[in-house]
Amino acid sequence: MTSNATRWALFGVATVTAVGVGRAAARRRRRHQPERQDGWYVVRRGITVDRPIDAVVGFWTDRERLDRALAEWATLEQLDANRWRCVAGDPAGGGTEWRAELTVDGPGRLNWRVTDGPIAQTGHVELVPAPQDRGTEIRAELRWRSGPVRRALGLGTGGDPDLGLRDALRRIKSLIECGEMITTRHDPSGRSPAQEWATDKIREKLTTGGRA
Amino acid sequence: MRALCWEGVGKLAVRDVPEPTIRAERDIIVKVRASSVCGSDLHLINGYLPAMREGDILGHEFMGEVVETGPGVRRLRVGDRVVVASVVACGGCWYCRTEQFSLCDNSNPQPVFTEKLWGHSSAGILGYSHAAGGYSGSHAEYVRVPFGDVGAFTVPAQVPDDSAVFASDAMPTGWMAADFCALKGGEVVAVWGAGGVGQMAARSAQILGAERVIVIDRLPERLATAAGRLGVETINYAETDVLEALREMTAGRGPDACIEAVGMESHDVGPAYAYDRAKQSVRLTTDRPTSVRQAIMACRKGGTVSIVGVYAGLVDKFPLGAAMNKALVLRMGQMHAQRYIPMLLDRIATGEIDPGYLATHPMTLEQGARGYEIFEKKEEGCLRTVLHPQAG
Repeated sequence: MTSNATRWALFGVATVTAVGVGRAAARRRRRHQPERQDGWYVVRRGITVDRPIDAVVGFWTDRERLDRALAEWATLEQLDANRWRCVAGDPAGGGTEWRAELTVDGPGRLNWRVTDGPIAQTGHVELVPAPQDRGTEIRAELRWRSGPVRRALGLGTGGDPDLGLRDALRRIKSLIECGEMITTRHDPSGRSPAQEWATDKIREKLTTGGRA
Repeated sequence: MRALCWEGVGKLAVRDVPEPTIRAERDIIVKVRASSVCGSDLHLINGYLPAMREGDILGHEFMGEVVETGPGVRRLRVGDRVVVASVVACGGCWYCRTEQFSLCDNSNPQPVFTEKLWGHSSAGILGYSHAAGGYSGSHAEYVRVPFGDVGAFTVPAQVPDDSAVFASDAMPTGWMAADFCALKGGEVVAVWGAGGVGQMAARSAQILGAERVIVIDRLPERLATAAGRLGVETINYAETDVLEALREMTAGRGPDACIEAVGMESHDVGPAYAYDRAKQSVRLTTDRPTSVRQAIMACRKGGTVSIVGVYAGLVDKFPLGAAMNKALVLRMGQMHAQRYIPMLLDRIATGEIDPGYLATHPMTLEQGARGYEIFEKKEEGCLRTVLHPQAG
């Protein structure tokens, strides 16, 4: 027969476990949330490119290479010496358009502000020499305004700005270092069209937000 | 074209698939002449690395003829007979610049899986699941090789196809295993596994200065081949206590360096092995590190343990205490093929190493499923099945 003491002990253990698990889950979730400042979400991401700063800057100023790099992603239009307009499609293919203004601010710094798009967004990129002859650190900061519902939706569909930023940095690194962004999407396989479609979805999951 | 595809755990079949095309400036298309099976394919076929998709084309150790080059290819011409590194490397990142090609930053287009599993993603590998980039493999009539100038090497005319094919993976892996041991001359080196990689590691250790090489396996015919071809000493672990034998053979010291060329599906005898195997079959652990444990226990104090057998995830009962207290050097990694291939081709051409004897079972693509079966079950004295996609 179960005594009262045993019942209380079990109840106690269960409560402590539930509270502990709940707190651990909450802490984990908090850790994975971007920082918030005055109503903006803020993320900072960096990537190391194995080239001196001049070569990285050269990539941005070489219009032909840049256009090729941004193809199927965005178009650039120069407004004046230091200002550009960038028109980008929705990476998820929803047909939304983004217009951003880019300002070059000194030799290793670039700012952008989305002037017309579904999410208010600003950001900057800073180029810093990496230690031990490791090239250049590209450090980017991205700020955007978004409600919790839209953010949850974005995370679900892979349209989260943080994921987009990570992809963009990886793409830039790859283009500067080896001249292409490799893909295996069209490699032959023995799959039926339906299987290929499912596999492409998995490829997307395995690609989005990845870091080199 | 015809290609040998993975159709689910343990199932392989030849399918008619589209031919590959040049997708980027530095791509080349290779008409495959010889494509070897590899022990690491077994981990994929048997579902131990859950990143295969139905219809994936296997094969990563191969040679053939260049039939098309992208506009950015400089070093190779159509018609060149080449051997291709299994590991894809861009040639332009810091890791490639420092010749650590299997750590290339840019060659795995699908880095998320391995990033979660290992903290960082490493290089892509041809025909090696979606964890390694989802590339189509070489058990096919044609294969696309990205960064052709970096990964494909012209084969000297006097080297036959079935020797050159092993310069793709088995030889550089074996060489790197011996290279890790930093031999100065006169050492005793023990090698776990008498398969293709183990035998190449044993030969490489001899060339790099080892005085005695001891090869450990359970298959008498493989041990006999190693002893006959390379003049190494052998231990059959099914009959002999390996630790005791190694201790006696080295008068109590233990081998100076221990090379592990087995990987995550190690075999052993006894209850601990049965326990590991049971855990692995229900995926409570991904890898069975039996031979790594032995290598660590056997190695002399302050010696080197060099691991080139493939591991993917988590192991248990890892004797970290032995490694720590004996001050062992642990070195491991996927091979940096591009660093070693030209030098290895030269050594094959001069006859210093002859890997051709590993190709015990030349077969057609259609015989591929059977080829893997006899390779896995080690039937008919099989060391390696080598597929010839242009035949049959």
